[in-house]
Amino acid sequence: MTSSRNSIHPAALMYAEEAKSGQLSRREFMARTTALGVTSAAAYGLLGMTAPAHAAGHAQQGGTLRMQMEVRALKDPRTYDWTQIAYITAGWLEYLVEYNSDGSFAPMLLDSWEVNEDATQYTLNVRQGVKWNDGTDFTAEDVARNIEMWCDKTVEGNSMAGRFAVLVDATTEKAVDGGIEIVDPYTVRLNLPASDISLIAGMSDYPAAITPAGFNPETMLDNPVGTGPYLPESLEVGVRAVIVRNEDHEWWGYAAGKGGFLDRIEYIDYGQDPSAWVAAAAADEVDMTYETVGEFVDIFSGIGWEGSEVASAATIAIRPNQLAEVDGTTPYADKRVRQAIAMAVDPAVCLELGYSNLGEVARNQHVGPMHPAWADVPGLPYDPAKALELLTEAGMADFEMEITSIDDDWRKNTTDAVAAQLRDAGFNVKRTIIPGSTFWNDWTKYPFSSTNWNHRPLDTQILGLAYRSGEAWNESGFANAEFDALLAEANSMADAEARREVMGKLQTIMSDEGVTLQPYWRSLYRHAKPGFVGWDMHIAYLPQIYKIGLAA
Amino acid sequence: MGLFILRRLGVMFLTALCLTFIVFWLTNLAPNLEKLAKTQGNARMSDDAVVSWLANRGYAQPLPVKYAQWLGVAPGYVIEGSDGQVRGRCIDPGQPVGEAPSFCGILQGDWGFSTVAKENVSEVLPQRLANTGKLMFWVMMVMVPGALIIGVLAGMREGSRTDRSLSTVSIVSTATPEYVSGVVFIALFATNTFGMQWFKGSASSAVQDATFENFFLPVMTIALYGMGYIARMTRASMAEVMTAQYIRTARLKGVSFPKIVLKHALRNALIAPFTVIMLQIPWLLNGVVIVETLFTYQGFGWELVRAASNNDIEMLLGVSVISVFVVLLTQLISDIGYVFLNPRIRIS
Repeated sequence: MTSSRNSIHPAALMYAEEAKSGQLSRREFMARTTALGVTSAAAYGLLGMTAPAHAAGHAQQGGTLRMQMEVRALKDPRTYDWTQIAYITAGWLEYLVEYNSDGSFAPMLLDSWEVNEDATQYTLNVRQGVKWNDGTDFTAEDVARNIEMWCDKTVEGNSMAGRFAVLVDATTEKAVDGGIEIVDPYTVRLNLPASDISLIAGMSDYPAAITPAGFNPETMLDNPVGTGPYLPESLEVGVRAVIVRNEDHEWWGYAAGKGGFLDRIEYIDYGQDPSAWVAAAAADEVDMTYETVGEFVDIFSGIGWEGSEVASAATIAIRPNQLAEVDGTTPYADKRVRQAIAMAVDPAVCLELGYSNLGEVARNQHVGPMHPAWADVPGLPYDPAKALELLTEAGMADFEMEITSIDDDWRKNTTDAVAAQLRDAGFNVKRTIIPGSTFWNDWTKYPFSSTNWNHRPLDTQILGLAYRSGEAWNESGFANAEFDALLAEANSMADAEARREVMGKLQTIMSDEGVTLQPYWRSLYRHAKPGFVGWDMHIAYLPQIYKIGLAA
Repeated sequence: MGLFILRRLGVMFLTALCLTFIVFWLTNLAPNLEKLAKTQGNARMSDDAVVSWLANRGYAQPLPVKYAQWLGVAPGYVIEGSDGQVRGRCIDPGQPVGEAPSFCGILQGDWGFSTVAKENVSEVLPQRLANTGKLMFWVMMVMVPGALIIGVLAGMREGSRTDRSLSTVSIVSTATPEYVSGVVFIALFATNTFGMQWFKGSASSAVQDATFENFFLPVMTIALYGMGYIARMTRASMAEVMTAQYIRTARLKGVSFPKIVLKHALRNALIAPFTVIMLQIPWLLNGVVIVETLFTYQGFGWELVRAASNNDIEMLLGVSVISVFVVLLTQLISDIGYVFLNPRIRIS
């Protein structure tokens, strides 16, 4: 796949030097260079290493996998809000690029890509020889059409429009004119009005499934046209979904050595209670969990299953909403109140009580060491006495803070840990727990509540989604012109080393403003019955089901 | 008799009408509709998007109009959405607007569309009912003979040691609700904690292939609860019959005790339990909700829980209609059956 290219992005060479001299971790190096269009094999080569061998050699062809997973109704991929939906459709709707747990981006339906120096022009080289399962060729036209669909902000709930915001015209709410250019049948060029470094990462995310021409979400099960190796056999929402190998389709991945080992994958729904999953595992009704959480990590290991762990940027944010009105006042608009909250809570205690120490302590900045341009900025110190002082100074010592959380295992416990520490510091706190079925109705509006956030590959992504002024998912009601300007600046810097300086400023603002509590990063776990390979937990829950197989 | 049945059927329809209207009203409260929009559209949808989503799909119409449409006495809505797409209650996906019928309510035989299952209610509910039917069949097979045997044994010698111990067992089993006994059973027999991992704590696979291993615990959980109650009734009825004059006569004549019980007492003693068993069926529906959820068995009760937690309006209405019919039909059967069993009673 490197044959069509002979140049390596200059920044990539620079990163290699940094990585060798120890300034850059291997994961950061992989994420940065592969996002610039260097293949992961070449990236490992730059470090003087060989790419790790795939598990492919150890898997046998054929077999069935039964996975415990919530089975949700399918919908237009652009509007996916649960990765579980993508686990089903990944059987036939594939992705342009895949993001791996080592931080690298690998080409799938794309063959390779190049990004220019200031990240305003992307050249996407489409993989040749890929066919849709109705026999037609997969071409640049398909890629361009999908990107255009992602940029259509008028579609309700289209989250891809946020990932491709740079290409969306503010007035028409569709792709900008001339932004997406078909150069030849196997090349697409994206001409961005402004710099954006996150497009490749955006293409790898779970709602970015590539759909065929004339795609209709209503009939996607009856007419499952796609490029992937599987076809849906049945889907009963909340019960089970089955995908089976498409025997009549020559999947490009077989020739490319990608895998596609299993003949049949069954997803079986056991609801949201992990003890039901254990019961299913003990009853030998499933072979693998979708994700194992909290105390159940030990329980699953205890019944003899194999575990897989990956440290990720998935986390919980317990944030006051600065716009929220409580009895006619906006209590959290005052910076001192927010700082007081941050200083009264020890993140390490939240990690221990809320998530059984299954993760890493964070600094309330929502950017962490797993991100390429993370800057080592200290958070506010833990100082409950000072916190109460600040709160009293703001005249809010008597104010009763209501902290809301969903009724589950770790999110509830972590929020409880926060509430307990605030009480210990002398704050007046009330806890409210809302069942999962109604919690999300108003999740951005609660005055003070906790939300789980998934991992994002790049440092600037989550800040753009959750903390930029006026964003739909901006649950803290944070609006800061300086922050927005710095973020825009960071988003034009493909070079992570230079971006780190700006990130440092952004992280400082996050800390100083007390925007949110973000006490720890979660490690993610998955368990499986012995005998399977290629099933490792993915850092961002991405559905790489073609990698799973029975051990040979 | 004919008039009696007719009157009962009339009550049944009236009850169904009232109940569905209450369910309809509750599920169409504004916060519930918002929840529906967010589970169907996008969990993190903005307020404007929620409003347009609801308006485009006819949920913004006045409540009586919506209810009349569900009943089929008002024509289904046809709305051109803010996104330019025309949607109608009676228009199937892909069907041209002109070809769709104008009325499509429950009176026309259209039970509506389940927003969670993404299928017609009339396709989902029969499957769920069949699953619950399978469960109920085995519950009945265990519960009825078990309860009658316990009740008769306890009642034939009132106050004896057998009576006292069997009564204690049946009181304990009735006093233990399903959500307690189910959890205790799972802890005892489906985990390795006590070294008795004989059965499976999940009945999900029993939907396709019910075995002794995966079906025993849910069946026993429901059966035990009802068994105690029916046994108590049988015991009382048996004890009463055993004190009757003709039994004493038979004993004085020297008829053997087993013969008295089997030939003379049993038939008369079983009239009361028959009614109790019929009336127990609606009660069992209660237990089914808990047990099916606890053991992840995809039946009627499980569907009710799922529909309620997702505000699946038309599925909930369908569930209500069926529940009303099950409850009132079993009552009707027990009333009519009673007449045949006991000639002294007549329905005028």
